[in-house]
Amino acid sequence: MATSETTEQDLSIQRQSLRVWWQSGDPWIWLTSAAVAVSVTAVLGLVGLLAVNGLAHFWPSEVIAIKHESYGQQTTILGELSEREFIARRQFLEANPQYAGNVANTVERWLLKTGNRQIDPPDFRWVFTHDVVEQSVPTDVVVLERTEWGNAYGYLTAIKQQGMPLETSDTWAELQSRIARSESIREAIDQLQEDQISSINYEIEAIRLEKRRRQLDGVTDFSDLEANETELQAEYVLVENEVFRLTESLERDSLSLTLADGTETVIPISTVIQAWRPNQMSLRQKVGMYFKNLWNFLTDDPREANTEGGIYPALFGTVLMVLLMSLLVTPFGVVAALYLREYAKQGPFVQLIRIAVNNLAGVPSIVYGVFGLGFFVYLVGGTIDDLFFPEAKPAPTFGTPGLIWASLTLALLTVPVVIVSTEEGLTRISRDVREGSLALGATKAETIFKIVLPMASPSILTGMILAVARAAGEVAPLMLVGVVKLAPTLPIDGNFPYLHLDRKFMHLGFHIYDVGFQSPNVDAARPLVFATALLLVVIIIVLNLTAITLRNRLEARYRASIN
Amino acid sequence: MASYTLPKISDRRRWINVATKRIIGAGGVAVIAAILLIMGYLFWVILPIFESATMERLAVHQGLPIDVLAIDSDDSFETVTLIRANGAVEFRSAATLDVVNQITVSSSSWVEAKRVFPLTDTYVVRDTNDQLSFFRVTHQVRYIDLERSLIQRVERLFEASSFQLPENTEHFDAFRSDEDLRIVARTIDGTIHLVEFEEVEDDFELEFPDENDITGPQGDYYTFFGPRGRFLYDVDRKSGAFRLLLVPSVMRPRIVQTASFANQGEFPTVITPLLGRHSLMVGHDSGMVVQWSLTSSASGSILRPIRSMSFEEPIATLVSEHRRKGFAAISKERTAFLAYTTSNRVLAEIELDKPPQLVAFSPRADRLLTYNGSTLSVIGIENAHPELSWRALWGKVWYEGYEEPIYSWQSSSADTDFEPKFSLTPLLFGTLKAAFYAMIFAIPLAVAGAIYTANFMSAGMRAWVKPGIEIMAALPTVILGFLAGLWLAPIVEDHLTSVLLCFIFLPIGILLFATLWSRLPSRVINSCDGWSAAILIPVLVLLGWLTLSFDQTLANLLFDGDAKSWVYTTVGLEYDQRNALIIGIAMGLAVIPTIFSIAEDAIYGVPQHLVHGSLALGATRWQTLVRVVLLTASPGIFSAIMIGFGRAVGETMIVLMATGNTPIMDLNLFQGMRTFAANIAVEMPESEANSSHFRILFLTALVLFLITFIFNTAAEIVRNRLRTRYGNL
Repeated sequence: MATSETTEQDLSIQRQSLRVWWQSGDPWIWLTSAAVAVSVTAVLGLVGLLAVNGLAHFWPSEVIAIKHESYGQQTTILGELSEREFIARRQFLEANPQYAGNVANTVERWLLKTGNRQIDPPDFRWVFTHDVVEQSVPTDVVVLERTEWGNAYGYLTAIKQQGMPLETSDTWAELQSRIARSESIREAIDQLQEDQISSINYEIEAIRLEKRRRQLDGVTDFSDLEANETELQAEYVLVENEVFRLTESLERDSLSLTLADGTETVIPISTVIQAWRPNQMSLRQKVGMYFKNLWNFLTDDPREANTEGGIYPALFGTVLMVLLMSLLVTPFGVVAALYLREYAKQGPFVQLIRIAVNNLAGVPSIVYGVFGLGFFVYLVGGTIDDLFFPEAKPAPTFGTPGLIWASLTLALLTVPVVIVSTEEGLTRISRDVREGSLALGATKAETIFKIVLPMASPSILTGMILAVARAAGEVAPLMLVGVVKLAPTLPIDGNFPYLHLDRKFMHLGFHIYDVGFQSPNVDAARPLVFATALLLVVIIIVLNLTAITLRNRLEARYRASIN
Repeated sequence: MASYTLPKISDRRRWINVATKRIIGAGGVAVIAAILLIMGYLFWVILPIFESATMERLAVHQGLPIDVLAIDSDDSFETVTLIRANGAVEFRSAATLDVVNQITVSSSSWVEAKRVFPLTDTYVVRDTNDQLSFFRVTHQVRYIDLERSLIQRVERLFEASSFQLPENTEHFDAFRSDEDLRIVARTIDGTIHLVEFEEVEDDFELEFPDENDITGPQGDYYTFFGPRGRFLYDVDRKSGAFRLLLVPSVMRPRIVQTASFANQGEFPTVITPLLGRHSLMVGHDSGMVVQWSLTSSASGSILRPIRSMSFEEPIATLVSEHRRKGFAAISKERTAFLAYTTSNRVLAEIELDKPPQLVAFSPRADRLLTYNGSTLSVIGIENAHPELSWRALWGKVWYEGYEEPIYSWQSSSADTDFEPKFSLTPLLFGTLKAAFYAMIFAIPLAVAGAIYTANFMSAGMRAWVKPGIEIMAALPTVILGFLAGLWLAPIVEDHLTSVLLCFIFLPIGILLFATLWSRLPSRVINSCDGWSAAILIPVLVLLGWLTLSFDQTLANLLFDGDAKSWVYTTVGLEYDQRNALIIGIAMGLAVIPTIFSIAEDAIYGVPQHLVHGSLALGATRWQTLVRVVLLTASPGIFSAIMIGFGRAVGETMIVLMATGNTPIMDLNLFQGMRTFAANIAVEMPESEANSSHFRILFLTALVLFLITFIFNTAAEIVRNRLRTRYGNL
């Protein structure tokens, strides 16, 4: 098969006259090689684009102050430079006719992230470098990352407690300690809300359903439930009061910030997540902050309609869904392959089924989504609700998109991958091995469990990993069977039965679609989408590479042990 | 395997052996059945689309009052409402026709009761003194101790006001919108009396109406409001002559059309408006019913015949459904037909006992009530999807209000003024358009790449390139879609000139580079043979970058400075930011790995002795490739293209994110499209289970399934045959 080795060496090209060279057809070979080059460039460029855009977001970049003049008016703005582009003079003049005459061929403009959305809404501004009068990098600029309204940029003037300015020698250290305090209080509130309030609510809901169930059974005695419910409600009031108390103490501090235009604004410290002064940070500090930001991105909940904060729930949902799916798909795929290869009578019928299974891998994923919605959600889920959860009606329990249906749908979508891969492995095991085992007195079952399956395990594993990689990247079917843009709770929590198969969940792929295309503030959300996309690509490439390496290694090992 | 079984096998082992066999057998069959279930289930869901409608007599109730003016029922058909001439509204159980409630609305006697257009729960009645009164009938569902019960209410509207019809009024009609109430009355002498109250609220006294009298022809005229109360139909029931008036306000009516529904000497058998009153259904002696619809024309909206349906018998009575564009037609020979306008179908028929005085549909159109002095028949109707037919789904349909028959997909839910349009043709067109542009982009790159990788690439590079491109197949399409929609589309829009020119400059530039390269010393050429793809990467990047940075200069040179407006003014093509060009590139990239990988296998598998033979006979590498290798591998390349096409047809996320998703039919490279897959993704979550819309979406899923299944199977067969052929060569 070594085309290149034999043929090309023998035909090693001598320098030819131009005419001969053209006639030989070699230029066309160059064109075919260009096709490869284009494809490779596209793949590398794509991953590179994601990496650059996605990773840059976490860097605490420098904040610049720009004094610019337009329509004879001077304004100063503060912000991070997030994009620069060149536009043609003509285009520029169409939008800004007042410049006629003194414009270069192309005009440069900068997109600045100016934040402070609560004060003047668009948190991004375009500035023509043409208009810039003065540009500086003030060292004492403070950037605040906040729970609402996005970032704030300005100069810290004072810290206030109960509205009264505080006398401190080191305002910055004071600010950091107060942010830490508010952070710990916020955590305590979250703790209460997530653990206690949600579990009390969960129990109250369970009582409501139990009442309804008894009503349906004709029982009218609820005294035990009602006693329980009163107790829970009392408990709820206690926890709620504690939350109120904490919230009140959280609202104690505020800071005042002087903005670029000199006006002063007061920001409650309770809303500040972190504060930094990018223009006086050392490289080491920046690197430290970079990794902290990266970590927070992976472990935090999203904020502000998913355009800020982290992607933890989406990551969690993706992993959990994929795990459930592989639990479902592996045994079934292997059993089906074993049946096709070891037990079914080989003939045209089995061949037909094999082609059908093979082709199902090429059926559009959205078709599986439609099937999942109709069959699993409405038909199976609806029936389960009728039989087992009549008390919850008309609210559906399983008769609505959810985790279990998404996993099942994706299991169905990926089962051909596992079957094909396992079968391939089974075919490769030579007849001698099987017959040897049988000749030594093993039953067929023993041969399969002790000889065939272990030998086929690399292929099974490969199939499984490829299935996982495919499932992790699928979005279209999930949109129909259980993924939502924002799930209030994770599918695993501290309430019995801990794993809630009926809940809706978040997913990285859908997160990209939703934030990139449905969010109101695309400019602000874009870096996060890039970062999420990069994460997803990395996960999938790693899975694929693992599958390839694993296959090669195990294959080599088994080949060695057979020989 | 029985012959292998050894005699000393223990019971336990034997049992395990048998159990394994059973379990694997059952499991295997179950998994395969589950996979095949998909197709079966999709079929099962769409089957009701093609089920024909049925009509069946459920009950005939005797002994009803003989003075009924109008009949109606509640939404779930639990009670039947009778409006009686004695001023009472009577509610009867739908099952037994026993009175469950009777509400006396007025002490005077009524002579006529009709619905107020376009409301279905509001009636206007005329009493013996020619006074009009309005009331609304509602059925509210209440749960008392979990017991469902229906509570009927009758509410008088505008109770404080009085509406006196002129003397000798032959016919009247009332229209009510959020703001105004309009009444029209026609007297024997041909005077049309128009009244309008503005800023109407249910409980207020109505005052200071605008009133206007206009004269019309004498005869058996029937005058009623059209859509939004802004049209007035003045129709001679006998001759079929009609006038269409535009009534922006009652003070300024204007005749826009005077014509006739029938030819000279013919007499229409029935003229009835359809739901929403955009159309009038006109029956003829031949049994033909013609739909005349308000269609836009140069001089505004006029009535034009848009469709005719043939019943065997002349139609005497026609009644329209409450929520769809369907109707029931009752012939002079007492046959009741069920028909639907948009799909142009006569769906079912049933023989009635007597010609009815009153006919009414239940609100959900699952019952037809016919009343004939003291007798009420209930006819059950099963008619879930009358608007769908093979022709309506794929052909052009002339919808109400449109100038001509069109292909249209607008699936928003129906109301009296809007009818969902379910033509699959624009979606099919969009699907094929997207796949077409993607294939145009992908085929040359993938096939040429496969040729080079299989034939000319050095083994060292091939070991990297092949898995690399195959990993590209695993890239989530949501990422490609995101990049295409948010990153590529704006870039292409801003640099249209250079992006288009790249398709010309890059090949030329590469040929130039190759020519220069061939002038290098043989030593260099030979040592780099098989690595030209790697050498070209920087060349390509440089060329692309150069073209992009000279965008404005090139645009000035070729397109008067702006390619987008040049395309629009000179070629006449509109430019959307998210268009087929973007899809071609993005989806092309998604299918390249599929095509590449299969085509590469096929080319690489061409037996070497053929290649050697050709080269030995003096053919150049290129000649060998074109005349020997490609010829032999062509079925494999073909099957690779088919599989790639199958993938392009079903791709969802890229199309969803990188097109505008508008279902237009236009081959324009610079406009978007809506594909089957994207359509499902957009509409399925909002679709009500088991509605027509839901089943159509399933049908499109089935179409996608079948397209890809057929293409993949064909490709698989081709490949299998190719494998045998390679073996024989």
